[in-house]
Amino acid sequence: MKSASEQVSAARQGKVARLSLRRFAAVSERAAQAACLGFSLLGAACEERVARGVPGPAKPAAHEQTVPRAHAPELSLLARVGKRLFFDPNLSASGKMSCATCHDPDHAYGPTNDLAVQLGGPRGDQAGGRAVPSLRYKEYTPPYADLLDNPDGMSAPGPGGGFAWDGRVDTLAEQAKLPLLSPVEMANKTPDEVVLKIRAASYAVEFERAVGHEPWGDPAAAFRAALAALQAFQLEDPSFHPYTSKFDLHASNKLGGEFTLAEQRGLKVFADPKLGNCASCHFTGAGLSGSSGLFTDFSYEAIGVPRNAALPSNQDASYFDLGVCGPLRADHPALVDAPNTFCGMFKTPTLRNTTNRRVFFHNGVMHSLEQVVRFYNTRDTRPELWYPNLGGTPKPKNDANFPSYGLVTRQYVGGTTQKYDDLPARHRHNIDPQMPLDGRKPGSKEPLSEQNITDLLCFLNTLNDDYTPPATPPSNGPCVH
Amino acid sequence: MRKSFSSVSILALAALGACVALNACSGPQGPGTNQGQGDEKSGTIGLQLQIGGGLSLNTVSYSITGPGGFSRTGSLDLSSATAFSATIGGIPAGNGYSITLTGTTTDGSTTCGGSATFNVAARASTKVVVALDCHQAPRTGSINVNGSINICPQIDELSANPDTVAVGSSIALTGVAHDADNAPSSLSYQWTASPGTLTTTGSTATFTCTAPGSATITLSVSDGDTNPTCADVLTTTVNCTAGGTVASAAFIPGSTTEPLLKAGHFAGAKVCVDANNNGKCDAAENPVTTDANGKFAISFSGSAAGLIADIPAGASNTADGSMNPSRIVFRAALGQVSEQGTGIVLSPLSTEIVRLTEANGTDYATEKANLGTRIGVTGAQVITDPNLLVDGPQNAALREANILSNRFRYAITKLDRGDKFPDSLAVPGGNPELTGLAGVTPATATTVDTRAPITFAQAEQAAFNVEDVPRYDSIFIVMLENKSTQAMLGSRFAPKINGYLAAGNNFASYYATGNPSEPNYLALGAADDFGITDDSQWNCDATGANAPQDLPLPDKTQPGLGKSPFAATCTQAAAVNHNITGKPNLFNAVSANGMTWRTYNESMNPGQDVRTDSVTDPAVVAPDHVYAVGTIGGNTAAVGNPLLSLPMPAGLYKTKHHPGMGYQNVRSAPEFKYSNRTLGGGQWDPFLLASSDYAIPAGYDIDQFSTDLASGNTGNLNFVIPDQCDDMHGIGVTGTASSGSTTAIDCSSIGNNQPVATGGNIITRGDNYVDFLVKKIQASALWQNQQKKVAIVLMFDEGNATAPDINSCCGWKAGKTATDAPLVQNPDGTFSQDLSVNNYKNGNQGHGKSLFIVLNNQPSAPKGIADNDVYSHFSFVRTLQDMFLLSDPAKDGSYMNRSKYTEKFIAQNILNLPEYAGSADTHYDAVRPMNHKYVIPATYVQKGTLDDTRPLQVGADANQTNVWAVK
Repeated sequence: MKSASEQVSAARQGKVARLSLRRFAAVSERAAQAACLGFSLLGAACEERVARGVPGPAKPAAHEQTVPRAHAPELSLLARVGKRLFFDPNLSASGKMSCATCHDPDHAYGPTNDLAVQLGGPRGDQAGGRAVPSLRYKEYTPPYADLLDNPDGMSAPGPGGGFAWDGRVDTLAEQAKLPLLSPVEMANKTPDEVVLKIRAASYAVEFERAVGHEPWGDPAAAFRAALAALQAFQLEDPSFHPYTSKFDLHASNKLGGEFTLAEQRGLKVFADPKLGNCASCHFTGAGLSGSSGLFTDFSYEAIGVPRNAALPSNQDASYFDLGVCGPLRADHPALVDAPNTFCGMFKTPTLRNTTNRRVFFHNGVMHSLEQVVRFYNTRDTRPELWYPNLGGTPKPKNDANFPSYGLVTRQYVGGTTQKYDDLPARHRHNIDPQMPLDGRKPGSKEPLSEQNITDLLCFLNTLNDDYTPPATPPSNGPCVH
Repeated sequence: MRKSFSSVSILALAALGACVALNACSGPQGPGTNQGQGDEKSGTIGLQLQIGGGLSLNTVSYSITGPGGFSRTGSLDLSSATAFSATIGGIPAGNGYSITLTGTTTDGSTTCGGSATFNVAARASTKVVVALDCHQAPRTGSINVNGSINICPQIDELSANPDTVAVGSSIALTGVAHDADNAPSSLSYQWTASPGTLTTTGSTATFTCTAPGSATITLSVSDGDTNPTCADVLTTTVNCTAGGTVASAAFIPGSTTEPLLKAGHFAGAKVCVDANNNGKCDAAENPVTTDANGKFAISFSGSAAGLIADIPAGASNTADGSMNPSRIVFRAALGQVSEQGTGIVLSPLSTEIVRLTEANGTDYATEKANLGTRIGVTGAQVITDPNLLVDGPQNAALREANILSNRFRYAITKLDRGDKFPDSLAVPGGNPELTGLAGVTPATATTVDTRAPITFAQAEQAAFNVEDVPRYDSIFIVMLENKSTQAMLGSRFAPKINGYLAAGNNFASYYATGNPSEPNYLALGAADDFGITDDSQWNCDATGANAPQDLPLPDKTQPGLGKSPFAATCTQAAAVNHNITGKPNLFNAVSANGMTWRTYNESMNPGQDVRTDSVTDPAVVAPDHVYAVGTIGGNTAAVGNPLLSLPMPAGLYKTKHHPGMGYQNVRSAPEFKYSNRTLGGGQWDPFLLASSDYAIPAGYDIDQFSTDLASGNTGNLNFVIPDQCDDMHGIGVTGTASSGSTTAIDCSSIGNNQPVATGGNIITRGDNYVDFLVKKIQASALWQNQQKKVAIVLMFDEGNATAPDINSCCGWKAGKTATDAPLVQNPDGTFSQDLSVNNYKNGNQGHGKSLFIVLNNQPSAPKGIADNDVYSHFSFVRTLQDMFLLSDPAKDGSYMNRSKYTEKFIAQNILNLPEYAGSADTHYDAVRPMNHKYVIPATYVQKGTLDDTRPLQVGADANQTNVWAVK
């Protein structure tokens, strides 16, 4: 974090820099931050948000004598315009919704609340179709391919890459188009409408300069430029990929990165193919293009996430969101009678910054990371906790030992558990059989012990950004010993 | 000098016996007559005896005889008394008895004896007095003299004219002597000389100098006296002077084939006997100076041991007219000086002989012969002025002389600079310069610096052991692909590699630096990947200053390259330049120092351009490999399809696996084409000359590697690069078969972390190929020549690093700081970031651990060493720079790219290296030579990825022996 005096200093520099913007192509990140202030586009909130979105370097330990200069990487002009676009609510039909509304920098560019889907549209009352993913750590995501080489160098190629839960767009720029034009999100009717708003914005001149010519005569090109600007902002600004978690300290041999015993055990649960086997898809090693520690292999898997009956789209019992095979993408269409190996597959998200997140899976059906872990652990052994009962009778009172962590909170007698209720039977062969979801029989032993789960959550907690090692390591607590 | 004395012969003719009569008498001084008490018919006698003069008798024997045959003997105990009396009883009465007494004094000097007669009266004691005569031994003598006198000869004069000549020249010697009595014989002259030879003619002789330095002439003149001391002896000292040349070599860069070297001499070099062994010709050592032709003449006041040529900076090297860049000292063994006299050749080779005698405790003759054996010339040629050699011997001598010149010049640089000994990164325990240094993890920097400035003798050896990495003549680096330690260690699919692991030495914590192949090979070529994180073609996004210069590009529009797969343009979204321009690298550095490099590449298309990948060739068809029972992972039935025909697939040879290909200055090097060669043993080799892709060059050798091993024309630095089947990489190879599988049995890709239990056929394929290569190298004359130091490295470009843990070490990209950049050195010596490299932050992130095995040809080298300190490709590049003296440890900037990132360097440049800020373990992050000097602290727990399933080591290794040690 910047000190107060540094911020004041930055603001002063910013005024100078702003005045000279027309003459110099390159200005510093600080200047860009301050420009946000100076134009008063978003008022103080903008300044605060940006400042918080760009964490400073990890605090060095006391004995460190030398601290490197804090090189604030300079954003390109295009990225700086992208930043303005990202935070501009005027780009929505409602005038109240910017990209940052759902992708909040203070929440790892994810949602601020626990709503399964966010509300948008011209009046801000339309529910979205899927849960909002974090925009962090997307810089290495390759375009979608049915047979993407797995970054682990070992697994067989399979569906992977691309953006959104189904990979239907190949780049961050293409992705940005989706919310801008979605009627239930920012709800612009056409690209031209977006361009008109940009033309009227306070940063229109910057936009012109970034695009390099008078863009307004070719709205299609101007729209593409806006998308490119949004992409540039996400690729260039470190707040989208800060790598400031405890795990990052650990993996890069930094002070403060030493795992506690619980975290070490949790890492083992995470990686061990016989336990959590999480790393098999939430790949942590060295991957494509110099990436490492992304906690995703960009792959798509079908794991039978329970249907979220609360979603408006799911009020139609015949509607199924089948991910890669549609209906939001059309290039792997699900046929009524034929199996389709792409159906039910959704993208493996990064596990960074998940412990503070309050909505999980593509349909937002779960609301805590512990709940997700327990779903993995008991989907097969206790499916009645996760899928609805058909034909049974609810008990007047749950048994004392009936868990409260499941989606089904009412204990039933008799009836049938509707396992995989959001995946038509003809596609269930697509269910990934890997541990811990290995299809074991109901009532059999669960893959993970309570201690495993506790430890695993401790490890996952090390994946949150903005970690500052405590001055004194804690001597007790659930994640210490 | 005149020396003379008389001598007299003394001849004792006889010894005269001295007969001295002593009066040792006894008298009646005893106690008187005893009264006998015995037999009434017998009586007793009483005796009295006294000896004077201090003599004493212990016993006296008596013998009594008398009438009737009476006889009695006995002894009387005198107990050292000087007088005695005794009574002898029981003697029959009668007349006519006699008694004899004998005795000897205790000192043996006197014998006494006497007798008396007596009569015996019954029952009475008869007093008998015996007079004893005592005779003493002789005490003195006297002589008679009967001799003759000879007067000994005298040398009057011994002249040497002249008294100083060059070795090989002669001196006339004249002796003048006289003998006053001219007897007993006429004079004879005996000459001796040391060292040197003589021809003599009586009083004159001719002496010939055979060795430089002083010689002693000795003349001995005899008159025939049999007593040798009678001869006169005179010595004189003469001086034999020496001379010779100070020979030089000059490397002329730019050859398109072998290094071009020229012979010459150093003018203006000082030559002296370095009596105080300080590596300099001090004024007191009376140096002479070589003339314009490098000649010198020198005389000696004593021994010629320690002859040196002290060649100052600026001295003219007549080989190429250059000025000696910095002071250098050549030496010559005393044996060589004696051998060569006025033709002494002071050269790098003569110096190496001296150095070796000191290093090995051997002698001149041994090391002269050994050096000849090493470079393939005779011992005589080793010490011959290379200017006088021709052809092969001259080239061999000059090439070695050039390399040695660099070494010995570096030795003097260290001496004159006052370097401490040993190098900081060669101090046992760890670099002592780190102790107490800010920005260094204190627990790993505890060595106390007790070093002193280096001596001349130490410097001479240290130049051959830079950072404790010994000089090797040749190294063969066999590049294997994509297998972590976990996949190889103990694998039954790789019994041979595991055998070499056990038989040789190894680095147990060796890390790749990039992912995938290309960045790792770039790192092996020059210790950086410059932000490249893919396997793309070397011209991708190479624009502006990075645009390729080796034009025309080898695309299919070029004559004869119709099937080239090379894309003339390549643009990728990330816009990362793939043509590294203007960066130092091992290849250019080796060539610039007059040494050679080779890459041996398997399964190229005959006639292809080495800058392109190989292509498929339907005309080259090989059968599938078939593995008999028990030859692949313990198979119980044969595997492989004998009916499967496999056309040569594309991409067996890939430019991404060439560690120099990505460097513009390597591809532009004049020797580039000459140095890239073929490697045999491939599956398609027997059919390769059926190739239809390109015109096959005349005399095309599909196995230049074998040819070079036979001829000795391998390089100093050799990268041996198997094809993508034999290196364990794997490509899908398919063909046609009348029945059975249509996929090659042993070239399918498997995981980098393939469990050893399941192995993979391609691992056995690679295992067999490695064994084939190692055996081939070990059978070569090069390997068998134990005077040459030759090593084989078996290594993998990368491991695995799928684990959520540390992926690399030692110069790696430690952290994801967005602003790190390569460093460039400023004219003032400081370093700055080079911000021009796009995507640099994504490079050098590593890819886990893999095996690194070292074999060498030295029979007395330590074996079975495991060095578990952490090392990376960057460490290896630093090690190679030390091995071939391409860098100077005192100058960080002399180490290429990230190989300069030592712990000290990082600490001192942390502001420019933000990726290393906040390190938990600065030793782990830093580069060091692979010399096993650092001792792991006792409680230190090794870091490690899951690439290596062995338990993490705690504390130090079993020993600290250097894996590269040659003895």
